[in-house]
Amino acid sequence: MAKKLLLTCMAAVLVFTAACSNGNNGKNNASSTASSSAPAATESAAASEKPLDKVTFSYFLGVANAPDVNTNETTIGKAFEDQTGVNFKIEHLVGDLKAKIGTMIASNDYPDVINPDAGIDQLVDAGAFMDLTDLIEKSPNIKRVYGPFLNQMKAADGKIYYLPISAQVGDFVPDPEINQGAFWIQRRVLKEAGYPKIKTLDEYTKLIEDYVAKHKDEDLTGLISLTHDWRFFATSNVPMHLDGYPNDGNVEVDMTTFEAKTYYTTDSTKRWLQKLNDLNAKGLFDKASFVDNYDQYLAKLSSKKVLGFFDYGWQSANARNLLVDAARQDPTQDDFVYFPMPLTWDGGKDQLLDPPGFVKNRGIGISVSAKDPERIMGYWDNLLKEENQILKSWGIKGETYEVDDKGRFYRTAEQIKKIDEPFNLSFGFRYFNWDWPQYGANSTLSDGNAFAPGFQPEVFQMRLTDADKTILEKYGVKTYSELFAAPDDRAWYPAWGIPKTQGSPEQIWETTKDEVTKKFYPKLVLAKPADFDKVWEEYLTAFGKLDTAGYEKWYTEQIKAAIEAAK
Amino acid sequence: MNMASNIKSTTTSIASDLKPTGIKLFFKKLVQQRILVLMSVPFLIWLFLFKYLPLWGWTTAFQKYRPAKSFSEQEWVGLDQFKFLFQDERFLRVLRNTLAQSGINLALGFITAIILALLLNELRGMIFKRVVQTVTYMPHFLSWVVAAGIIQATLAPDGIINMLMIKLGMIEKGQEILFLGIPKDFWTILGLGTVWKDLGWNTIVYLAAMATIDPAQYEAAEMDGAGRFRRMWNVTLPGIKSVIVVLLILNIGNLMESGFEAQYLLKNGMNIDYSENIDIFVLTYGINQSNFSLAVAAGMFKSLVSIVLLFIANNIAKRAGESRLF
Repeated sequence: MAKKLLLTCMAAVLVFTAACSNGNNGKNNASSTASSSAPAATESAAASEKPLDKVTFSYFLGVANAPDVNTNETTIGKAFEDQTGVNFKIEHLVGDLKAKIGTMIASNDYPDVINPDAGIDQLVDAGAFMDLTDLIEKSPNIKRVYGPFLNQMKAADGKIYYLPISAQVGDFVPDPEINQGAFWIQRRVLKEAGYPKIKTLDEYTKLIEDYVAKHKDEDLTGLISLTHDWRFFATSNVPMHLDGYPNDGNVEVDMTTFEAKTYYTTDSTKRWLQKLNDLNAKGLFDKASFVDNYDQYLAKLSSKKVLGFFDYGWQSANARNLLVDAARQDPTQDDFVYFPMPLTWDGGKDQLLDPPGFVKNRGIGISVSAKDPERIMGYWDNLLKEENQILKSWGIKGETYEVDDKGRFYRTAEQIKKIDEPFNLSFGFRYFNWDWPQYGANSTLSDGNAFAPGFQPEVFQMRLTDADKTILEKYGVKTYSELFAAPDDRAWYPAWGIPKTQGSPEQIWETTKDEVTKKFYPKLVLAKPADFDKVWEEYLTAFGKLDTAGYEKWYTEQIKAAIEAAK
Repeated sequence: MNMASNIKSTTTSIASDLKPTGIKLFFKKLVQQRILVLMSVPFLIWLFLFKYLPLWGWTTAFQKYRPAKSFSEQEWVGLDQFKFLFQDERFLRVLRNTLAQSGINLALGFITAIILALLLNELRGMIFKRVVQTVTYMPHFLSWVVAAGIIQATLAPDGIINMLMIKLGMIEKGQEILFLGIPKDFWTILGLGTVWKDLGWNTIVYLAAMATIDPAQYEAAEMDGAGRFRRMWNVTLPGIKSVIVVLLILNIGNLMESGFEAQYLLKNGMNIDYSENIDIFVLTYGINQSNFSLAVAAGMFKSLVSIVLLFIANNIAKRAGESRLF
């Protein structure tokens, strides 16, 4: 018995040591590759044709917009790996961003590369990013693209901790689609009303009201609104846009005095909430808007039952694209596609399209835990070469785009059909679309082609269905953005992109403001119409406790500084 | 060292028939039980490393903690974080919510679980009993994300409850009730949701306790003419009383933990006054704002209150002559 036990023990020990030594070998191999790659890295920027040892860096992306991936598993990423020997393992956000960033800071252990979206101030504050100034000096392509913006990219201590994602290169091309804020309405509503030209919110709600009255049995929802979590601004920003201002966040900036003013207690906000209250009383507003989460909201938008809503294009795109795809398969479904409208209170000039701007408080940086920053910078520098920007944006010539005899890029109908979501994922368009150092979306290439295929008029025209063309024709425009007024130049734009330090009065103002508005807006909208004014008074009292004047003063200073810097 | 001489000296002391006291007794026992002592050393080290050493982090609560700075560079602020907490009306509100939510969960969870266990215990049809048990403890294995989704869908304006109410003529169409938007109903919804999710699971321990009751007692009670309910009241319940008391003490110690996921997933702007508990407060005003000191201070406060509650509950049980923890 004892002997047997001993034997078993010995066998176990043997197996265990074997496993361990295996593991050790594996580790040794890995570390030897890593160490041998280090000397090669310095040359990587200069001589990319030289074969390099392969290395994988971890990349945390604070936006949950795609499945996790190794970039070399995509066609585009594979090409970059062949050029530089670098692969990135992208980990997307799961759960709450701020909590994730907080844990990262607390453990002081970072992925090699971080693109923390809204969590960037926290990381800069914690000293999580390394200073990139010297590395930028050594990278010709990064210098070419980011050169004009270097001063704006400096943190308070004069160092550069991350590369923002929206550096404008070449000429400015407007987006023919609406990616920014708009009042969306189902095409069948417009069709039935004979394609009226709508300018004000009142006309818009009247249109919806009439349609629902005529189609009583169809169980339609007049209007819904997105309120979930941080996306609440899709509801609270509306008065700013109806006043005729672009999305500067929490403030409207006067174009003559450059004073920043919040709009949460203005008549405009009161009027907007009263409008929703009125629609709610008439049964036209979906109450559940205030309890639904983002997924439920998207599900409702794609259910074809909702006639109208206000939202930003990028935020509702997932749901709207489903409807567009359905209409492409079956033209009768075109009725349910949403059409964007620029509305204001008085029918005056709207400012819903983004002016050219430089978002300074989002970007990608190298963490202090990174093994080999030169190599990462080398990859980015290589990525910013024009031919590589074309590859990540347009793809491969003959496969995902064509060039005509005048040198214009375009896509054939088959290519457009081929490039759907699964293709975007496997080819890598999805992963290299954004979130890397790159040309800003409105940029042009050196030969005059648009950097982003969607902004190239030839591609936009090809993507339109017959029904799209019909409705654009009815409104006398060639692109959706032509419906909207041209944006005015705003040197500070976007004001929400001006960085705020952690725990500053500005940030605390924003957190408390969120809490007050999130609590009172639903109360105001769902109140009995007779009680509205009473609740509004309560709201004003609650909001009055905030130091709004201090917040506005801080913003006015920042905006004036930004205007000075741009002179 | 000179273990041998030690042993020798102790043996001589025993031989000399002097009863050792105080320190001498301690060392004598120590030597006698050295193997046991040595065996417990690794566990003491483990306990120290993983349970006591992290308490070092509590120092954070007395600093204005900045991440990525060393301990000596931190700014000490004394009790400022605690002062901020107790002067903040928001904190008092989340404290109230925490206690109310867990109080409701505790009371509801206990009563329903014991009742269900009693009823199940009386069942003779094995198949039916198994089915009921399985059905009631299935939801326990759902994550709160799924469970919250189900609760939300049920309570939505186009959910089953509103539909039923319309069918029964309790409300008109178009007047659907937004259950999750009524602040005061949040505690009820949370309590019922938790009962639904954990009822079956909680009965298991009581059923196990009931299984240990000697069947002879039931027979004797039956002979004395006790009916079903008498037997439940006078045999089953006293039989599981000790289990109930111990569980109650443990749960009272956890009163400050009202859970996190359920509230976080079901909360919205409208019910925030009643849904936000300490854990959510710590997340929004501590971790999300990088104010780790505040988070630690709140956590510390929670632990201290839990310890006090645990002692009180234990003491009450002791005085009542019941089984207890220590």
